[in-house]
Amino acid sequence: MRIVVVGNGLAGTMAGKTAREILPEAEIEIVGEERYPYYPRPNLIEFLAGRLPYDRLFAFPEGWAERQRIGLRLGERVVRLKPGEHRIETASGASLGYDALLLATGSRAAVPPVAGVERRGVFVLRTLDDALALVERLSSSRRVVVLGGGLLGLEIARAIRGRETPSEVEVVEFFDRLLPRQLDPGAADLLKSQFEKAGIAIRLGAAATEILGAEETSGVRFRSGETAAADTVVIAAGVKPETGVAAEAGLEVGRGIVVDDRLRTSAPRIYAAGDAVEHRGRLYGLIPAAFEQARAAASNIAGQDRAYDGTIPSNTLKVAGLYLTSIGEIDAEGPGAESRLRSVPEAGLYKKIVLRDGRLTGAIWMGTKTGAAEIARLVALRKDVGSVKDALLADDFDFSELA
Amino acid sequence: MDKYECTACGYVYDPAIGDPDNGVPPGTRFEDLPDTWVCPQCGVPKDLFRKLS
Repeated sequence: MRIVVVGNGLAGTMAGKTAREILPEAEIEIVGEERYPYYPRPNLIEFLAGRLPYDRLFAFPEGWAERQRIGLRLGERVVRLKPGEHRIETASGASLGYDALLLATGSRAAVPPVAGVERRGVFVLRTLDDALALVERLSSSRRVVVLGGGLLGLEIARAIRGRETPSEVEVVEFFDRLLPRQLDPGAADLLKSQFEKAGIAIRLGAAATEILGAEETSGVRFRSGETAAADTVVIAAGVKPETGVAAEAGLEVGRGIVVDDRLRTSAPRIYAAGDAVEHRGRLYGLIPAAFEQARAAASNIAGQDRAYDGTIPSNTLKVAGLYLTSIGEIDAEGPGAESRLRSVPEAGLYKKIVLRDGRLTGAIWMGTKTGAAEIARLVALRKDVGSVKDALLADDFDFSELA
Repeated sequence: MDKYECTACGYVYDPAIGDPDNGVPPGTRFEDLPDTWVCPQCGVPKDLFRKLS
């Protein structure tokens, strides 16, 4: 059996690894557009901050793929799928046949329609080449503007600020608060002040319309007419699933490459996994989802029937070193709704619960992970906590009382 | 005691620190973590960790 995998990110690599575990004799080849062996993408933030040296970016020791007898074609872009012939074609002219094909093409950085994004000094951060280029630029940069105050934008700003000789950094967010889906105005304010304390400027409610400068970037203009000086601009405006070759080959594509519960696409012998995938109408863009999909896809390719029924995302994330759990309703709105709040700004701590007729319908837990899993479970159960609603926010609250 | 690194996200498990947020006290060897333990940073299972030399 000959298995070809397109993409050497997490999904492609883990699929290859799983296929090898199940099928010791199969021929497995991974075709990757990036020139580098697999590295965990979160490492790029550590690399950007100068905390992780280049040679520690990579997940597996040198020679790992050879020892696994997995063929790697790196720096090679797949330009065409030929589902009828069970072949794919690459930019260098290679034509590769397969018995089973796995598309793990991932996603690319989205670039919004802002004038001047082609100027020198404008970057995204998605690939290792992006990171290398940005790091080189930062050695002579004095002021950076990050467009996008989502998780990635905030991580990038903090990483740049954490470098040995940090540039000035300003984060620009279109909404009037940070992480509007996860945070209420109070928690968002606190998060903002944490960033400002770390020397990162935050500009809210601002839409960039133009990158200014001649050849080199000199700043950003906003819809309001205001401008911000910058010799470097990093765009962190989200990602787009890489669906191009799949769509051109006639595979069913919605927002992502559509797969069923066996990770099969609409074309025979072609499977897909990872960030490029749309499963039951849903796109994840999360490591655990990519991982579970890759394992299930590889198992099905290898002849084991294995269903994937979705991934439950963790309610807890870490933003710029702060734990943040956000679940359900974050604002008390409407009849019967009320909230309780405990905030210790000096400690970066913010806890809030939202109740409806005494039942817990939402919570924000920022700055601590203690009690976060418990509160998330109680929200999921819509537990009646009316009698302990004031005590619940204490740091030493004993959740076993509510078991 | 050996440190282990998550091959999916790069998180390093240091037994001297443990994973107190998830009820793992300092001094817990990686080998002794329960099978249900997952990477606290990205959520993948234990078998995706490798020993750091």
